[in-house]
Amino acid sequence: MKEQIVRVQDAALGQIAAAKCIKDLESARVAILGKNGALTQVQQGMRNVPKEDKPAVGSLLNAARCAISAALETRTRELQEQADRAAIANVDITLPGASLPPGGLHPISLVREEAVRILRRMGFTLADGPEIEDEWHCFDALNTPADHPARNEKDTFYFDSGKLLRTQTSTVQARVMEKQAPPVRIICPGSAFRRDAIDATHLSAFNQIEGLYVDRMVSVGDLKGTLEYFLKALFGDNTAVRFRPHFFPFTEPSFEIDVLLQATGQEPRWIEIAGCGMVNPAVFENIDCKSGKDFYQGCTGFAFGIGLERLAMIRWGIRDIRLLIENDVRFLAQFQ
Amino acid sequence: MNISKNWLAAYIDLDGLDTREMADMLTFAGIEVEAMHERGVTTDQVVVAQVVRKSPVEGSDHLNVCMVDAGEGSLRQIVCGAQNYQVGDKVPCALPGAVLPGGWQIKEGKMMGHASCGMLCSASELGLPDKEHGLWILPQDYKVGTPVRQFTGIDTLFELEITPNRPDLLSHWGMARELAGITGRTLKADPGENLLSTEPAGERILLSAPEICPLYTATRISGVKIGPSPEWLAERLLAIGLHPINNVVDITNYCLFELGHPLHAFDASQVQGALNIRLAHQGESFTSLMDDDFALQENDLVISDSSGRALALAGVMGGKNSGVTENTSDIILESAWFLPGSVRRTGRRLGLSSDSSYRFERGAAPWNTLRAAARAVQLILECAGGKAEPTLVAGQAPALVPDQQAQQATVLQQGTSAKVYCALPQVQLDWNELDVMTNATISHMEAARILRNLGLKEAKPSCWDCPPWRLDLKRSCDLLEEVVRVYGIANIPPTRTAIYVPESSHDRLHDFRCNLSRHLAGAGFWEVQTFKLIAEQSADPTIASVQYALPIKPLQSGDIIRVALPLSEEHTVLRPSLAPGLLAVAARNLNQGLDVLRFFESGRVFRNTGGGKGKDIESEVLGILMAGKLAPASWDHLKPQSAGAQHLTAILETLLPKSRITVLPAKVARDAAAISADISVNGQTCGFMARVALSVCRALDLPTDCYYVELDLRKLQQLSTASFKVKDLPLYPASGRDATLEVPVNMQHADIMKAVESVKQKLLESCRLKEIFCDPSGGKLAEGRKAMTYSFLYRNSSATLTAAEVDAAHGELLKALAAKLPDICYR
Repeated sequence: MKEQIVRVQDAALGQIAAAKCIKDLESARVAILGKNGALTQVQQGMRNVPKEDKPAVGSLLNAARCAISAALETRTRELQEQADRAAIANVDITLPGASLPPGGLHPISLVREEAVRILRRMGFTLADGPEIEDEWHCFDALNTPADHPARNEKDTFYFDSGKLLRTQTSTVQARVMEKQAPPVRIICPGSAFRRDAIDATHLSAFNQIEGLYVDRMVSVGDLKGTLEYFLKALFGDNTAVRFRPHFFPFTEPSFEIDVLLQATGQEPRWIEIAGCGMVNPAVFENIDCKSGKDFYQGCTGFAFGIGLERLAMIRWGIRDIRLLIENDVRFLAQFQ
Repeated sequence: MNISKNWLAAYIDLDGLDTREMADMLTFAGIEVEAMHERGVTTDQVVVAQVVRKSPVEGSDHLNVCMVDAGEGSLRQIVCGAQNYQVGDKVPCALPGAVLPGGWQIKEGKMMGHASCGMLCSASELGLPDKEHGLWILPQDYKVGTPVRQFTGIDTLFELEITPNRPDLLSHWGMARELAGITGRTLKADPGENLLSTEPAGERILLSAPEICPLYTATRISGVKIGPSPEWLAERLLAIGLHPINNVVDITNYCLFELGHPLHAFDASQVQGALNIRLAHQGESFTSLMDDDFALQENDLVISDSSGRALALAGVMGGKNSGVTENTSDIILESAWFLPGSVRRTGRRLGLSSDSSYRFERGAAPWNTLRAAARAVQLILECAGGKAEPTLVAGQAPALVPDQQAQQATVLQQGTSAKVYCALPQVQLDWNELDVMTNATISHMEAARILRNLGLKEAKPSCWDCPPWRLDLKRSCDLLEEVVRVYGIANIPPTRTAIYVPESSHDRLHDFRCNLSRHLAGAGFWEVQTFKLIAEQSADPTIASVQYALPIKPLQSGDIIRVALPLSEEHTVLRPSLAPGLLAVAARNLNQGLDVLRFFESGRVFRNTGGGKGKDIESEVLGILMAGKLAPASWDHLKPQSAGAQHLTAILETLLPKSRITVLPAKVARDAAAISADISVNGQTCGFMARVALSVCRALDLPTDCYYVELDLRKLQQLSTASFKVKDLPLYPASGRDATLEVPVNMQHADIMKAVESVKQKLLESCRLKEIFCDPSGGKLAEGRKAMTYSFLYRNSSATLTAAEVDAAHGELLKALAAKLPDICYR
């Protein structure tokens, strides 16, 4: 019996060592420890072992089982490791990526989103109005005289109904103020239209962001502080910003804002980026008069407008504005 | 407008001011410097040279080989193309190495086989006014070899953008006055201060349209001698880019650019009897100085005489037969005031613009009318001789001062016998407004000093008389602007204030849209931005045209909104759908070789509700287009699948994961769609899906598997942004059973799902399509039939289901389905 145990153990260990794969090892396990396995059969011989020999044979049998189990376990691990290594041995991690369809946002969306994010952080809320406007909201309310050159069918798209496509998002100033009492602190990203022939620097439809803050005691200092903060957030903390006096009918005083930008290999240049000014009291009067309310008497405020196409062109060095409406994927893919 | 620095220096002390500083000064006064040009020779390498020999180059009709003496001891050979010089002439010669205006460097070279060691120059090549159209012929007493810069002045030309509120800056004197006001530099003598002897025009001038022309003056000067202008005058005109014509015409131009008031000179022999400033007759013809013919309308103002002929289009342009020529001996000099709107209307309609109309349109100061006449008369007598009669004055300066001020207004008087009265606008200045606007940064004393420097006078406390040239100053805020502008916004400290503002519905829509856009970009779609004005019909597939529109609601005739005067046939109507734009984008990119066509746009679409008579509606929509391959081919996936409706549905499901999205055949088909379906979210319709009509795809050269979805963004936002509560995880396992339904090929998945739902089997948790099988050959499945395998999942939320319970529930469901769906069997 004892010799038999030793023989079976030796044979089993040899079988285990010889196993080439997990499957071999599993057959070996069945052949040794299974129902009819070699060791199981030997174990059945215990019945016939004299009682006094039983402890010694029993412990020998137990030792054999332990040794075999340990060997199985070790070999299993070895073979699994081997198999795992083999499974990944020839994987070429450097292969090019399999193709998923690429996609991305339009550059105008990217700059608009960034500007909106900064301005909302500064406590502006979004507002909007129709693009098909009436002359009152587009011109009269905004202090543009009836014979102003912009109010001409050669410069502005009119409809037979007498309405027009808004020439600026400033219309939203009038739209909001005729309904809402101050304080008003809004921005409006949106489309505007001018009857300009399309070329490398002009589109007849373009995007702006309009801003308006009206309250008691709003000052030129607030205008300056707000827009300096906004433009530095947009162009970087070290960006120099300057305000140049200008003229718009709906603000007084009016300014154009330049930022000092440096293109690679060039001298820094002042680039015109936005228009702004203190809301002209005539605008408040026009709106109060129309709405029949007394919302804006004694109020002051500032407004600003910034062109998004221009912003995108400056930011990414886009030389032809038409690229922004052609939607060629070779162009769009650069903004992924 | 062009301003010459040298000319400007005649009116204001500019000593020690370099051009850069001056440009900054103008900029911060609100006058944008669009460009600056240095005029004159700045290098020593352009010298006086004498042409010693010249011989034609063989084979050229204009080149000559010249030997010139540039004072170097030996002669220099230069090939020259100009024609206007003789041997012996002295001309400027740029030596090799010289850099001419525009950064152009002269090098030694060869022309048609002849060495050329330098260049003989015209005045314009040296950045100087060109008088000769050829080489600049220098005076004989200049010594050869002397740098030309010793004989030429240096000037700077500023190209300025004057904002429309400041017509008073459209002249050299006006600009000088402004700079003096801003900087405190000394202003020299006013060239417009001459006294003019005047007398009432009586019947010699008829003001037939006094509301458009309330003031007209005419001065007859007899015996003038027409000839070239004196050098100084010609040079000033040349410096700002004008070409001298003759002394009288040049003087009218000169006065315009000096004082800002347009003048016109008629040949008196062409004027019969009294002048009549009248409205044109409908259809009256007029031939301009430039020999162009125009048909006039009843609201055009003309200067006419007793013959009835129109001599000039008032304020816009002179007529052909009444202008000053070299044979003119008597002239009538016009100085008048015309209503800005009238001049603008006529000019724009006829496409005519002149330096005169530009100024009248923006508003000339009535006060300047006699000043300009006086100055011109003085210069004409000086330069062309003759004898001036007293100036005839008809009418009176228009009252540009509001009525309530007119009584108290300070009035300026001009003229001798006939007087012109100009009331000065008076403005109340609210000091408190200044304090609010500037956070009290600017003291009232400082502000008053600024206003006085600009020519305002404090008539009473807080009440200011504005100078007659500043017609733009009308209200308190106009004065505040002047104070802030001159004080400089740079000197006002920035402040930062913010208030809490409630989120608006626009904020929420913006966020919703941004989330959808980012999601779609991540799912492999390109966001595009297309034109809102599209073509009604276009043959070019890359131009968006309304014929491919797939609007959310079908269009009736008249629903499309058309602009009255489109820029071109390609942009005539407002888009009723994003489909035309997206299809054009797909066509364009397909042409560039792209085979995965996945695009989206979010934006407005436009339509009229009542066939053109109702309201114009603007809706925010999201359009998604999918055509061609699903993904680019790659080494691990050589033949990607083509796009199908199911892929677009899958995108919608991931876009709105919490919403139940159903795509059902549309009740009303869409014109450009092969297959139309309505999309509903949580049971409410909010958009559509379409397979683009195959004929449209062929017309655009697009792949025929082209799918398009358009969703109403606001509706979608309402339907999909409800809040939710987390569900408990199931405690008991679910159990699945499959069933294969053999159904007619035209039966739709939605029909089956509807039937399944209507059975209301309590234990059924979900039902999912697993497989579709068809056999067109008819071998395994009869023709006209298809097999659809569904997986049904059963679960009891309060106990583990036994196999028998599941079987029973499944059996019941199948039996009920068979009863509800016609013509099905199980396999």
